[in-house]
Amino acid sequence: MKDFSLHILDIAENAAKAGATLLTIRLKQQENRLLCTIADNGCGMSETTLQHVTDPFYTTRTTRPVGMGLPLLRQTVEQTGGMLSIRSRPQQRYPKTHGTVVEAVCRIDHIDMIPLGDVPATLVTLLQGHPAMDILFTHTVGRQTVRLDTRQMREVLGEDISLGEPEVLTWVASDLAQQYQVLRQSGQAVFL
Amino acid sequence: MTVEELAQTFSLECLVSGEITRQVQSCYIGDLLSRVMGQAPAGCVWITIMTNSNVCAVATLADVACIVLAEGEQPDAALLDAAMAHGVGLYRSDRSAYMLAAAFAAGGI
Repeated sequence: MKDFSLHILDIAENAAKAGATLLTIRLKQQENRLLCTIADNGCGMSETTLQHVTDPFYTTRTTRPVGMGLPLLRQTVEQTGGMLSIRSRPQQRYPKTHGTVVEAVCRIDHIDMIPLGDVPATLVTLLQGHPAMDILFTHTVGRQTVRLDTRQMREVLGEDISLGEPEVLTWVASDLAQQYQVLRQSGQAVFL
Repeated sequence: MTVEELAQTFSLECLVSGEITRQVQSCYIGDLLSRVMGQAPAGCVWITIMTNSNVCAVATLADVACIVLAEGEQPDAALLDAAMAHGVGLYRSDRSAYMLAAAFAAGGI
């Protein structure tokens, strides 16, 4: 992967496949680290699946519950001296609190760290592909936070308008672009 | 062979010309930048598919003759800016790293 946002997209697609209705993506830049937390309320994974989820040779492609996304994310994270952790609660055992949390910590001052890439485009792609899934996104650098909350958008737009409508996606893209411009102009060193 | 001759002979698209009269002494292929930093010999043509601005930093540190982006890759805006600012030769080609290196070897590098 050449951009970190492609990893985010991939993990988020896993969440959508797991039937998540709410996806939380949190980015936090702290000194020389980027913390990325992606949490969903999808069906979760069993202990056995979880143990093998970053092993690319676990099983064949057709029976594999997730793609190569997590092994590749682990590589991206570990090649910067960072860490990846995955927790999951399967629906069968946790009927009310099921879901998966992927947490990545990257060292952004490492030469092998890839750029964050186009986060607004990634979020728009997600929204377009899964308009019914709610997304809560925050990207925090110092005191500044870029935010997208589709639950608030739904409240304003009402239930009849799909968040996958071109007008909605265009608005999301320009709103995020504007927020990122403010973040870039905040005088802090923003890793993008 | 100089950087300029390399670009002409192998139809490389020039993004930043860099030190065009510099001799290209060898060739190195690599995408893991920390590895390239330690292993790429000075004066080589470095073939990579990585396109972020760290590529320019590594090229400077390793003192390569020029960079060639393979497989049709386009540089990030930050890489293009950095290469221009530091006068690092940046070229691109649609060919694979293997095809490029094989052609360079056949051409005497």
